[in-house]
This record gives sequence, structure tokens and C-alpha cells, in this order.
Amino acid sequence: MEVSNTFGPIDIAISGMRAQNKQMEAITSNAINIHTTDNGRGEPYRRIEAIFKADDDDISGVSLDKIAKDTSDFYKVLKPGHPDADENGYVMMPNVDLATEMINLKSATRAYQANVAILKRYQKMVETTLELLR
Amino acid sequence: MININNNVSGSLNAIKGFLEHSPTSSGTGFKASEVGAEKQKSDFADTVNAVGKYLTKVDDLQQSSDMSMKDLLSGKNEDITSVVSAVAKADMSFKLLVGVRNKLIEAYKQTMNMPL
Repeated sequence: MEVSNTFGPIDIAISGMRAQNKQMEAITSNAINIHTTDNGRGEPYRRIEAIFKADDDDISGVSLDKIAKDTSDFYKVLKPGHPDADENGYVMMPNVDLATEMINLKSATRAYQANVAILKRYQKMVETTLELLR
Repeated sequence: MININNNVSGSLNAIKGFLEHSPTSSGTGFKASEVGAEKQKSDFADTVNAVGKYLTKVDDLQQSSDMSMKDLLSGKNEDITSVVSAVAKADMSFKLLVGVRNKLIEAYKQTMNMPL
């Protein structure tokens, strides 16, 4: 993305807001599926994470690269009565840690706020410049 | 000591460069690139026409911000950030337009009130 116009910072801040929106979506999906033992293919839910990439190696906005799956091991919990339990009574639970998701949610929120703050400040800056016309 | 002449010409050059690259000033009588060369005169109407060309751009931005708001409210588009972006751009360009317009009117009034 080439930034040579007045609207460059707006576009970049908006792309950041969109990216963090996506990140929050992934976190929500992880958080609500923390006890999902079946993802429809006989496996527990696998934690996902939004991976971002810069649009350019110059001044650029950010965009979603991919939604990546967390390849770490599932948790094994003893739940003999559970329908998805194996013969020893263990159930494979999603590899989601709620504390991690909470921290990620906080950081996504802060990053979103940072983008909004930049957008606001940039608008103020332009207004200050326009005051020179008065 | 600050060399004022140097400063002034430097900023004038900067303005000239800006006007040469800005799309709104092309194709009108208000051509900064020729100012130095042959002292081409531009009258007030040309400047107003240049602003008139900018007006359609501002209107386009206003229209697109209007459209994105309508799309959001009618459920066609659920991305609120695009609305924010369109509105911010429309707002910014409109403020610039109003600033330039006020300045132009002020200049006109000052000229008209000049004692002859």
C-alpha cells in the first residue's frame, strides 16, 4: 500500500482495527469451544489463532494472513461418564487455556484501542492543520 | 540570523511542488508550474473553478460514506470499520473544503471592501 495521500493513516488504522477484530473472533471461538469434545470429525476442537501479515515491507497496513491451528497436544481429562470417553474413562479436551485466551483478548482490545486512538489523533492533526486557513 | 528570503522561497517551492502534484490544480488556469516561467496570471474565477473541481471529489466521498452507512443499516454490509473509514474521509475532505471556501470568501470580501 502506497501512502502518499492524506488518507493513508486512516486506511492503515482501519486495517489494524479490522485485523484485531479478526483476532477477537478467533479468541471468542476458542473461548466458547473450550469444552467442545467433538468438532464433527471425531476430534476435540483445536485452538485457532489469527496470523497477520504486513501488506508491504514499506509503510503499510496489516491484513489477515491465515487462521492457523494450534498443533499442541489436547488435554486429557478423566471423565468416565462422558459419551466421548475412551475405555479408561479419559476424554480428550481442546487445547484451549482460558487464561491464555483472556490475555490475548486483553492485548487484542488494547491494540484495537491503539488504532482508534491513532485515528482520532490523526483527525485532530488534520484539523489543526486546517486551522491555519483561518 | 535567519535568512528570511531563503525561508520564504523554500516554502514557496514546497507549495509549488505540492500544487504540481496535487490532482485538483491540474487543467485549470491556476498552474503553479508556469508561475515562475512566464508569470501567467490567474484570476479569481480560475481559483473558484479549481475549488469547484475539488467539490466533486468531496461529493464522491460524501456519497460513498452515505452508501456505506445505508448498507450497514440495511444489513447488506456488516463491517462497521469501513463505515468509520468512509465517514472519516468524508469529514476530513469536507472540513478542508469549508476552510478553503471561507478563505476564498474572505479574500473576495476584502477585495470588495478595498477603498478606491
